[in-house]
Amino acid sequence: MDVKKRIDELEEELEKELEKVKTQAELLNVKSRYLGKKAEISSFMKHMRDLPKEKRPAFGQAVNEGKERFASLIEKRQAFLKRRSIEKKLAKERVDVTLDAPDFRVGSRHIINQIVEEVEDLFIGMGYTIEEGPEIETDEMNFEKLNLPKDHPARDMQDSLYITEETLLRTHTSPVQVRTMLEYGGKKPVKMICPGKAYRRDDDDATHSHQFYQIEGLVVDESTTMADLKGTLLVLAKAMFGPERKIRLRPSYFPFTEPSAEVDVSCANCAGEGCNICKNTGYIEILGAGMVNDYVLAASGYDPEKYQGFAFGVGIERIAMLRYGIEDIRNFYTNDLRFLRQFKA
Amino acid sequence: MRVSCSWLKNYVSLDGITPEELAESLTLRSQEVEGVFPLAQGENLVIGEVLSVSPHEKADKLVVCEVDVKKKRLTIICGAPNVRQGQKVAVALPGATLAHGLRIEKTEIRGVVSEGMIASLTELGIDYKYHHEDGIHVLHHTAPAGEDAMAYLFFNDTVLDLDITPNRADLLSMIGVAHDVAAIFNRDVKIPKPKIVTAKMENPLTIETETKACKSYYGRVLDDVTIGESPRWMRSRLIAAGIRPINNVVDITNYVMLETGQPLHAFDYDKVGEERVLVREAKKGETFTTLDDEERKLEEGDILITNGKEPIALGGVMGGAETEVTEETTSILLESAAFDPRRIRRTSGRLGLKSESSLRFERGIDPAMTRYALDRAAALLAVYASTSIRDGIKYFDNHENKRSPIELSLEKLNRVLGSDFDTAHVQDVLQRLSFPFEEKDGIFVVDPPSRRQDINTYQDLIEEIGRLSDYNILPATLPTTVSRGGLTDYQRFKRRTRHILADLGFDETMTYALREKERVYDLAKDKEKEPVSLSKPLSRAHQTLVLTPLHGLFDVAAHNRARKTEAIHIYEIGKCYEEEGETEMLGILMCGSYRTHRWQKHAPTSFFTLKGIIESLADALRFSPLIFTSTTIGNYHPHQCAIIKAQGEEIGHIGKVHPEYADAHDLKDVHLAEIDLEKAYELGRERSAYTPVPKHPGMQRDIALLVDESINAEAIKRTARECAGEMLAAIHVFDLYEGDKLPKGKKSLAFRLRFEDAEKTLQADTTDKLVQEIVKALEEEHGAIQR
Repeated sequence: MDVKKRIDELEEELEKELEKVKTQAELLNVKSRYLGKKAEISSFMKHMRDLPKEKRPAFGQAVNEGKERFASLIEKRQAFLKRRSIEKKLAKERVDVTLDAPDFRVGSRHIINQIVEEVEDLFIGMGYTIEEGPEIETDEMNFEKLNLPKDHPARDMQDSLYITEETLLRTHTSPVQVRTMLEYGGKKPVKMICPGKAYRRDDDDATHSHQFYQIEGLVVDESTTMADLKGTLLVLAKAMFGPERKIRLRPSYFPFTEPSAEVDVSCANCAGEGCNICKNTGYIEILGAGMVNDYVLAASGYDPEKYQGFAFGVGIERIAMLRYGIEDIRNFYTNDLRFLRQFKA
Repeated sequence: MRVSCSWLKNYVSLDGITPEELAESLTLRSQEVEGVFPLAQGENLVIGEVLSVSPHEKADKLVVCEVDVKKKRLTIICGAPNVRQGQKVAVALPGATLAHGLRIEKTEIRGVVSEGMIASLTELGIDYKYHHEDGIHVLHHTAPAGEDAMAYLFFNDTVLDLDITPNRADLLSMIGVAHDVAAIFNRDVKIPKPKIVTAKMENPLTIETETKACKSYYGRVLDDVTIGESPRWMRSRLIAAGIRPINNVVDITNYVMLETGQPLHAFDYDKVGEERVLVREAKKGETFTTLDDEERKLEEGDILITNGKEPIALGGVMGGAETEVTEETTSILLESAAFDPRRIRRTSGRLGLKSESSLRFERGIDPAMTRYALDRAAALLAVYASTSIRDGIKYFDNHENKRSPIELSLEKLNRVLGSDFDTAHVQDVLQRLSFPFEEKDGIFVVDPPSRRQDINTYQDLIEEIGRLSDYNILPATLPTTVSRGGLTDYQRFKRRTRHILADLGFDETMTYALREKERVYDLAKDKEKEPVSLSKPLSRAHQTLVLTPLHGLFDVAAHNRARKTEAIHIYEIGKCYEEEGETEMLGILMCGSYRTHRWQKHAPTSFFTLKGIIESLADALRFSPLIFTSTTIGNYHPHQCAIIKAQGEEIGHIGKVHPEYADAHDLKDVHLAEIDLEKAYELGRERSAYTPVPKHPGMQRDIALLVDESINAEAIKRTARECAGEMLAAIHVFDLYEGDKLPKGKKSLAFRLRFEDAEKTLQADTTDKLVQEIVKALEEEHGAIQR
């Protein structure tokens, strides 16, 4: 008998049988029939002793190779069956990937606070500290030490919300300048910004809010100049409105600074060409600034002979309104979530 | 201040400068020009004479006019009731464009062709408030037909609207504006010289004051006054300035005020009754009827002008009804005076009588103009009201005219501005300003002129030189001060709080601190806190400062719920405003499902959702562990409310809002928490040395206990911890059962305990022994029975 030929025949049979095998049990059955003790291939070894000695190794090798081939075929089938059963199981786990996911949305920080943080970080990078102060202020801190004595005409500019004769809700963050300078005792340079709420007697409408958010800046040292103010505000304007922006200083008046200036930023909408947003001027007013008035320095314990400085105040709502085209200031305080959630950060 | 360009040309040449260029230069070097607009609008407008007026056959309210415009006769249909034969009128010819884009064309109106329009002042863009005319504008009978009507009316003018800052009182006058324009463009200022021709009769007045609040008072008497219209050029200038023309006397006092900045007042001299002017302070309780026929209650400090017996004017604020100039007036007493700005401010503010005059007195007038203005007005009255001027001016003037010279060094100027100006530049600017000065070795000594009462310090001079040089030529540099910036630890703590809550899905709000007074305690924990209220509230809604940010948060929830937002999870770092100070508080509100698995089952947001949020926050910010103790607070659920403590100190509260209170605001299932941020920060632990990660695996055991309903989980945990010591690494409730299957008044609590031993691997029997000890302790202390 040609064993090799028989093994090849058996292999063909096995292949055909395996193709029909669907389950693990069937597979075991086939396996025992082709490789078990009673399998035909197992019986071949009995014939070996009938062979001449020199043919035995070749015979043995042929049988063993046959067994290996059978085993390999069975294994392949087994792997195939296993994979198919997993696939079936997974098929049952099919999901509609378009179904809605759970709501894990990250919340939004208030747009005003986002801008405040942005400005804070900008100034921290330039070596400024962040100072804070009370919202219920004394008339002295809010006005008198800022060169606004009682009966001063400029008090008209900021009609105030008084609590008693001598206390009021601060009308600007400027009293924090005074508080900080007093705290420093007139001895070391000041380089600070102060974010905070301020209040004025205004009826709320699209452009007025009795409560608003300001950032005040103050630098006092022996050689702080108006050019330094200009450079600093240019950095601020570019950070807030884009690197292409320019600024423009116009003379103005604040009792606590002199010279005083109002600062315009070139209109981002028309790049200074003139449009309806900038009322065809190419510029938009964003803040007030100036060199600290000697009176304020002296009232805050700084020797005006030695020290000089600049201060500025900027409204955060205004920045946000310009940046995002928000037309009504009340949006910031109504806190409609459909508004707030647009500003992610 | 509205500035007529054609008027301004009287004092300074505007040759080669367009109104737009003028506006731009003023904005960059003087004061902001808020608008540039034509005084009136109308092209192709001629003067016509109405030759006849006949009814329109097919329209009751229209008439057909024949109008002579010299070159031809036109048929014009007119609807104005005041059109009459013989009138001179302004005729808009076909092709004319009037105010508001009104275009005039030849048109047929009900069968009659109209060849133009007879214009009203309103149609020319002159606001009704300046003329109060309802029909067409009728010109003087001498108006030359065929000529340009706009030119005749002096309406070809451009107006600049200047926003004058409070320090620049000098710019509340045309002469003052002229000086600034002259300084900017390096031109000369021409001031008209009044020609006074006096009659023989002498000015009989004696003028005195009893109060220092009246600095000076100049008076003239004028006779033979003819009250009538003022000239057209003056009327158009007044309109340009925003003042309604009344009659020649009133118009001239206003005109001179606008020209010089010095307010004037004209009394009917016959009604003054005395040859005396006495200025004194009002007595408390005194009353006076002002020329608007209102009886005013006066107070000490108000300034009264009297005839020595009776008051005749409220000084600097308003004249009296008794001595008002009327059609019948024949003689006038003309006043030019100066008052203490603060007194005027107080009186006009208290009585609500703000006027062009009071504004100028409040800001401070040029003392050198007081006498000039009087003569200027008298001279104009002589021409335009045909008065004769009595000989002599009577006055007192207590102005101290001494003002100290101001010293400024070039070095200081450049050090403040960061500029590089030289002596010649500064000299040039001071000359343009016509400020007298001397200069030696870079030190300028400047004598500020009387018209610039605002210039008193070297900083004032720096500002003048800076603005006229244009601040925009300064270099842009950064401060050289070397400093260390940054947030304080507490500021970083606050930022972290906001960021963590945002990451947890909460939206941050910013609400008004001023709220309704009657709601101030609604959601506040402590009723003994003293809230702060405004002395004059803005409105009922904005009266009192909040005691907690929860107030605003709750209203924000109501607002959003009403707009159908389902999940509202919000927070705010606000303040508790008390008389003794402000404390920063964190408020958190949860309403609606949180992190919802939309189409699968999920647990509803409850007290414990918010508790978990607070605990996560406390953990992240290192002020944990927190202890929650049941409490009751006003509008909170009586059985779902707790005090939050950290390290034994109360730092806040948490609770479900009482369903009735929530319902009253159309809300449901609202949970609130408040944390005193400053306290939480102080209680925060420093980052300490690290604890080694356990080397040996721990063990876990579950126990179920039957306990009285009243026993809380925290008490059981505490006992377990005390009993097991450090070996008990964690203990959590994982099941709670309260139901019929249990004995009445009992509940079942199941705990998962985690044991760890830093030294060695835990053995099962050691762990079991520990559990038994814990169970025993719980039995003894709380009567707990293991199930």
